[in-house]
Amino acid sequence: MAVFLSALGFGVVTAAILAISAVGFTLQFSVTNVFNLSFGSVMTISGFVAYWLNSAGLGIWPAMAVAAIAGGALSLAINELLYEPFIRHGVNLFGMVIVTISVGLICDHALQAIVGPSFFSYEAPAGKAFHFADFVLTGQELAIIGIAVALTVLVQAALQYTRLGKAMRGLSVNPSLARACGVPTRRVIALAWFVSGVLAGIGGVALFLDISTFTATTGSEFLIVIIAAAVLGGIGSPRGAVLGALVVGIVTEVGAAYWNPELKDVLAFSVLIVVLLVRPQGLFSQLATERAVAR
Amino acid sequence: MSASDSTAALVLDSVSAGYGGHEVVRGVSLSLHPGRIECVVGPNGAGKSTLLRAITGDAQFLGGRIWLGGSDISRMAGNRLVRRGLAWVPQLDDVFTTLTVRENLELGGFLLPRRRVAARVDELLDLFPLLRSLTSRIAGRLSGGERKLLAIARALMPSPTALLLDEPTAGLSPEMTGLVLEGQLPRLSESGVAVLLVEQRAIEAIEISARVHVMVSGEIRVSRPAAEVRDWDELARLFLGEG
Amino acid sequence: MSAATQYYIATILVYIAVNAIASWGLDLQFGVTGVLNFAFILFQAAGAYTTAMLSLGPASGNGGFQRYLVGVHLPFPLPILGAMLVGAALSAVVGLITLRRLRSDYQAMVMLVVSVVATVVAESVLGLANGSAGLSLIPNPAEGLAGLARQAQTWVFVGICAVCMLVVGLLMYALVYSPYGRVLRGTRENEPAIEAMGRNATRARMQVFVLGGALGALSGALLAEFIGAWAPSDWLYPETFVFFTAVIVGGRGSVSGVAVGSALVCVGVQQAVQYLPIGGDPTVLASLEWIITGLLTMLFLWVRPQGLLPERRRRFPAAERVLAPGDVGGAVEVDA
Repeated sequence: MAVFLSALGFGVVTAAILAISAVGFTLQFSVTNVFNLSFGSVMTISGFVAYWLNSAGLGIWPAMAVAAIAGGALSLAINELLYEPFIRHGVNLFGMVIVTISVGLICDHALQAIVGPSFFSYEAPAGKAFHFADFVLTGQELAIIGIAVALTVLVQAALQYTRLGKAMRGLSVNPSLARACGVPTRRVIALAWFVSGVLAGIGGVALFLDISTFTATTGSEFLIVIIAAAVLGGIGSPRGAVLGALVVGIVTEVGAAYWNPELKDVLAFSVLIVVLLVRPQGLFSQLATERAVAR
Repeated sequence: MSASDSTAALVLDSVSAGYGGHEVVRGVSLSLHPGRIECVVGPNGAGKSTLLRAITGDAQFLGGRIWLGGSDISRMAGNRLVRRGLAWVPQLDDVFTTLTVRENLELGGFLLPRRRVAARVDELLDLFPLLRSLTSRIAGRLSGGERKLLAIARALMPSPTALLLDEPTAGLSPEMTGLVLEGQLPRLSESGVAVLLVEQRAIEAIEISARVHVMVSGEIRVSRPAAEVRDWDELARLFLGEG
Repeated sequence: MSAATQYYIATILVYIAVNAIASWGLDLQFGVTGVLNFAFILFQAAGAYTTAMLSLGPASGNGGFQRYLVGVHLPFPLPILGAMLVGAALSAVVGLITLRRLRSDYQAMVMLVVSVVATVVAESVLGLANGSAGLSLIPNPAEGLAGLARQAQTWVFVGICAVCMLVVGLLMYALVYSPYGRVLRGTRENEPAIEAMGRNATRARMQVFVLGGALGALSGALLAEFIGAWAPSDWLYPETFVFFTAVIVGGRGSVSGVAVGSALVCVGVQQAVQYLPIGGDPTVLASLEWIITGLLTMLFLWVRPQGLLPERRRRFPAAERVLAPGDVGGAVEVDA
């Protein structure tokens, strides 16, 4: 029971990081229909922005806030300067997947050429340990969980209750009708990219804090787990992404505790594959059919 | 008919439109007046839907002018037309299927001042009483008729001066067709909106219209007061272009 | 010619052949039929490992320094044939999971996930193929030839690769330009039309998936025999992307185009960066290769989506665009 509870503790932290990132990934996908495989690079670059600020003496939490803005700006810039022109040029959904992979590889390797292949870590105290029965969480881990809960609730509430949130949901199912309602679709799409980048930035810093050492490709490697969580929950559904993050996070850490820690991701991916075999659209998704790229 | 027709809500002046340079609609002129329903009827492939798409900016505009309340809106982008007081209901994909009925209406009022939205939703629920009990239903789960009423209500949210309806009864049961055409549309026009109705069901459309335009091969062959065309023989002759 | 120069040229030739075979395999799936196989590198790896396990002796040999399964020391060409069988079988399994019920964007993502999982398993399960250290001392079939000098043996292996490339190339021509090839392209461009003609699009995808997997495995088998070693770091999931670039640059669905694209992208880019005046830092060089590959892909998707040597065929415009505006997609073929 003690092993289980401590694994559960780790699982919740992993799930928190996954939830922040997966919500960002899936929100942008639901609005634009672009499967953005450069999302991991935005996480990494934001994580490095925080690293440079942190090395210059800034505390990790203010550094995370700046990294969030940097991530949002980078994500928006990539869309406006690359993806949007490619979509207007007539490149379709699959072409766009390849464009996003290209952008991700270019970002990762440009960063790697600058920082080199070494491992980095933040200067940040883990904080006081808090005991909850048998599971122990550091102050830092509690903060990450708190941020994840706050952000996911915030995003969900904004989508559910605000005018812009409803416009975003409407746009994701029926772009031309959204235009017919007077929704400035281009600006709403830009907003989705920005919010997605902010979540990538926060998720990136939280990930790097949690795993303590990172390289120029850490974000892209973690992206696969994010995709697993997002697809598991049903891509395009932020609620599903949170659920998928919880399943993946907890299954991996509990699996690591009882089985081979190196194979923990395999367990998560197996869950994904089994779920997709039973329910091809994911646990939560309402969109079972394909759509074209939103313009 | 021209822009000088100052009482008209929407004026089309020899509009041509199509796709990829291919002309589907040729030199169509008509004007729409507040509080009146006018219908465009004609055989399949006559270019009726393309005519509506030319107005909403979804088809390629190949010539002519469109005036809305006195200002030129030819070639204007869709989301700006809404601000000028034009609303339309597409034939398919006419609601946000994953949103509730209330959310659909709220999104229809995207351009209204925030504090006006709830009151306007209530007004439309008064106008469409059938929707009142369904406000928290997901739009994708409505029946065909309920869905079409929601689509029309959504389009009316910003209180447009002109409303374009693209075959609102396509795929509906005769009962629902009656509800939409005879039950609902005449009441709309009482509120002062100018309605342009494109319909396959010519007889029913003519019943509720003030004026009929018969479109054949991309051109308006005949325009006349609906009262003058109320029998099948007359209509059949018009469809064949002998009017 | 010095021994070093000869070996350099031989290496380039082997790489050209191996990469052409692999790129053709992916082209059948992605280029001709439209299946986004983001796990392609996995099938090359399966071929490499299978060849190693079939041609190496028992794991206890060489002082038992590496652990692996099988080890039956089969003679040429059995390990290569075995590799192709395993590649095909593995493709069938992955295809059954992904191709039947999933949306096509999910298919791509699930394959990406499968590729990563496979690397993790190969790294973590030591007894399978010696974990992250990988397998070494994989026998080269030409080395067994008695009475031949080392250099001559290398050229014999180049010959084996050339024959394989030739056979696969001819097979590709026969397949792609046959009536069956038209069904495959129809699956890519207008699935409903293909289904309406009584052809099963899912079955067509399964077939090219299995065939492409076998070709991927063949390329891996030859590569492992030539290098003599194979490890998880050789087949990380982004490597698949290099083959996608080769297909896009060369011309989707074009047999000769893909061969040219693969020589340029898989071999040319790597050679070119060696001669750039930026010093010899291996990390920077590797990064630069990736950056150039990414830029090339985007450049071609923008400027010349049909590739250097476009797919040839008669067509008339139809339903839907497949990749990009200048792309040959969106055409329904008529018999030439």
